[in-house]
Amino acid sequence: MSDKTTTPREITFRVRRYDPDVDTVPHFDEYRMHVHDGMTVLEALHEIKAHQEPTLAWRSSCRMGVCGSCGMFINHLPMLACQTQVLHLGTDVVTVAPLPNYDNVKDLVPNLEPLIEKHAAVKPFIIHTNSKEIDEPTGEFLQTPDERESISQFTHCIKCGLCLAACPTVATDPLFLGPQALAQAYRYTADNRDCGLHERLESIDIFHGPYQCHLAGACSQACPKGVDPAFAIQLLKRTLVLDGIGIRKRKSSLAKVSPLADVVKAIEEFAPPPRTVK
Amino acid sequence: MRETRLWSLHILVLPIIAILLGMHFAVMHYAPVFYGMSVEEARDFDTMIERGKSVTQLVLYILLLAAALYHGMYGVRGIIRELPLTPAFAKIVDIGIVSFGLFIFALGTYVTWWTFSFKIGG
Repeated sequence: MSDKTTTPREITFRVRRYDPDVDTVPHFDEYRMHVHDGMTVLEALHEIKAHQEPTLAWRSSCRMGVCGSCGMFINHLPMLACQTQVLHLGTDVVTVAPLPNYDNVKDLVPNLEPLIEKHAAVKPFIIHTNSKEIDEPTGEFLQTPDERESISQFTHCIKCGLCLAACPTVATDPLFLGPQALAQAYRYTADNRDCGLHERLESIDIFHGPYQCHLAGACSQACPKGVDPAFAIQLLKRTLVLDGIGIRKRKSSLAKVSPLADVVKAIEEFAPPPRTVK
Repeated sequence: MRETRLWSLHILVLPIIAILLGMHFAVMHYAPVFYGMSVEEARDFDTMIERGKSVTQLVLYILLLAAALYHGMYGVRGIIRELPLTPAFAKIVDIGIVSFGLFIFALGTYVTWWTFSFKIGG
């Protein structure tokens, strides 16, 4: 919660503005305001919009680092505006611009279509050989805690797109799948319930796939959820190479399905107590 | 071909290059250390022709040529293909790189074979 008891500090916000209907090139506008301790960049933008510039546009939703909508280039680094406290930046002038490596829709709004398209291209869902079990499930695919742990961090991706904004390869090669999609390709490929690697090969085993990564590691630094996409790309490379030479370890518990009756029984055992308030 | 195979081969040839290039340096540039002759003597035409008559040298140099060319051409392709190219132009780059690599390999193999089969005084 914001501590508004400390003396507010005057901060200048340099916000990049661009309206495709009016401007030919983007420009920066400056707004001065008093910032109290704990105030986030997103809150500051709301203040600016409410009191100084009602036409300022950006994209945001949850305000708590979950939805991944408010990615911006704050003081020349990709960050979530809702997670970035203004005074923590330590500068009297805070520069806010839209995420680089994306087209600019308006002001601070990036066009995230490439992120979504690349994400969809790697088939980010469980692909199972037993399609009947998928369509008409008779039980639940088992996953041990260790198996879950092995992919855990990669499941935390919120698709904010900061990693693509930070990636120097995406900057020079727009066709590069990028850290987000490749990390998700690994996340699903490494999942013990999945056997869709060969279905994904067409989209990931390409020139603009994992081998195009320049190992800068900027994606992992930028990720607001602590995911390490650079590591995932290296793991994906290993998976592809081992599969290519035919020594990829087979998944041990692929066919294990817990019958639905057992699942229902387990749920009943852990059912919450009956409501006591009408 | 799957990019994994191309990339893996580009990595796998590295130890071959390291070993064979080391041998090349030992023969050509460190002759005073390994063969007790001066660098000028090691580079002398007659010495080279004499060395070139070895089947081992013929095989190893062609292997080094193939490994170094593959590694180098794969790297050049990576640099060029990173440019924003249309799919058609990217295909032309791939074909051009393969063609150029094969041409240089043929030329290098011819020179190595010519040295191997050179008849002194003939």
